[in-house]
Amino acid sequence: MHSGSDEAVASSALGPPLGRSRARAGPLLTALAAAAVLAFALLTPDEYDQHLLMWVALNAVLAVGLRFVLLVGETNIGTGAFYGMGAYAAAVCTVNFALPFPVALLAGGAVATAASAAFGLVTLRTKGPYFMLISFAFTEVTRLIYTRINYLGGNSGIIGVFPPQALDPWLPALTVLLCGVLVLALYVCERSDLGRVFRAIENNDAVVETVGINVVSVKLLCLVLASFAVGVAGALHAHIFNVISPGDFSYLVPVFALAYVKIGGDSHVLGAVLGAALLTLVAQALEGAGALEQILFGAAIVAAMLLLPDGLWGAGRRLLRLPKR
Amino acid sequence: MSALLVVEDLSRRFGGLTAVSGLSFDVREGEVLGLIGPNGAGKSTTFNVISGFYRPTSGRLSFRGEDITGLSASAISRRGLVRTFQHGSLLRDMSVHDNILIGALRAVRDRRERQRRIQETAELLGLGQLLDTTAGSLPHGHQRMLSIAIAVAARPALLCLDEPLTGLNSTEIAAALAIMARIRQEFATTIMLVDHNMRAVMRICDRIIVLNHGRKLAEGTPTEIRNDPEVIRAYLGDDQ
Repeated sequence: MHSGSDEAVASSALGPPLGRSRARAGPLLTALAAAAVLAFALLTPDEYDQHLLMWVALNAVLAVGLRFVLLVGETNIGTGAFYGMGAYAAAVCTVNFALPFPVALLAGGAVATAASAAFGLVTLRTKGPYFMLISFAFTEVTRLIYTRINYLGGNSGIIGVFPPQALDPWLPALTVLLCGVLVLALYVCERSDLGRVFRAIENNDAVVETVGINVVSVKLLCLVLASFAVGVAGALHAHIFNVISPGDFSYLVPVFALAYVKIGGDSHVLGAVLGAALLTLVAQALEGAGALEQILFGAAIVAAMLLLPDGLWGAGRRLLRLPKR
Repeated sequence: MSALLVVEDLSRRFGGLTAVSGLSFDVREGEVLGLIGPNGAGKSTTFNVISGFYRPTSGRLSFRGEDITGLSASAISRRGLVRTFQHGSLLRDMSVHDNILIGALRAVRDRRERQRRIQETAELLGLGQLLDTTAGSLPHGHQRMLSIAIAVAARPALLCLDEPLTGLNSTEIAAALAIMARIRQEFATTIMLVDHNMRAVMRICDRIIVLNHGRKLAEGTPTEIRNDPEVIRAYLGDDQ
């Protein structure tokens, strides 16, 4: 991109063009890492490992989806609601209507997309703390609504959400693959001109408005794209855990996702993925520690904010002296 | 010269305060029109209403013969009326290139054409060598030029500049005035500007409108304005 000459300056100052070659190696290394994870998902016989891997993949989509809306400057706690809607919609498709698995996944994405469009149309005229609080309330209200609807199983939720049996050995790999595609799709949007408009809105929405771009529409598009990905992940969640209940989709889901993004680093999509992977594994290790788990999580967030302003991603980048983008 | 923008009986109230009251004027195709007046005269409010950031309380705005009263800022901009802000608003964390790109995005669909426009606009505003620089790290004068570049990249028919010269030194002001003259000439852009630098405004404007207490006090060529007793009284007080 246009950092080309910056890189050239940086690398000539370093002697050999280390920065540049390392930056070029980035996509290759990422692809290799993704392939390795995929191979692991295909080959590992251990069910516990398989589950952990799928959990990481889902959390990565949640973190990347949350970060995507952060690009326009909004903290979307509604991520929890759209994840839940995707899960419930897919569960209903599978359990109540016995629809094919791909239809259930798409239905999860579609319901989350439609709901986020309606939600955003009303709420995206607000911004900053106002939007955050409204989206927080939205997630909590949808959670309470599930408990009151008998058709959705009320407080106990929906059980027996199984993917097709033939898919069983492939489910971990399929989950990793689908989540990878969703993350990649959002990243491609981020790197396009649309992504530049997102960043511009985050910088100064009035300037964007004065050059003929309807800011609310662009923010709505951003929210809807993120929610589709999160909705599909929710649909996968229902089929991986086989049981869903309202408590699974509280405000804690997006708050944890925010922790993944902030600890992993919000300047790059892989920071969010890294944060999701690391914290999910740490949470697993702390399982059974009770309240200690949440205390340690909170402490980790505070420590990351204080010590790692751009998360682990930024720290790693500085360590390797990579150019910023 | 035909009228590009017609403002008829425009008023804007904020609660009990009337910021602009019964203001009528037009901006003619190809001219540079200055809007001046003491602090609180309603210049910024007028700008905000014309550009769609505030709705008028009453009155009518038409641009190129079309009624644009009450349209949103982005809709007005797409019709060819683009403004800048006081303090030179820009996209601080983004490169100069991407700042100008945002300005050109809606106006030019073709990528290669857009790239040409970005280059051309950057060079006109003296930013041709700085495309990779982050906007927030530019010196003040360049930041001002960049905020104009964003607007110019959209190639507006009417460019509204809100205090483009404030905070610039005399060399930078001379350069900015030369750039405005070039924008006008090369892109057939009509310019309307608000500024406190009287000498500069007198130099560059074909016509000037003087506002005081939200009303039009005088309108005319720089020479007429300079010699208008009403204007002198508004600026210097009665005893003078």
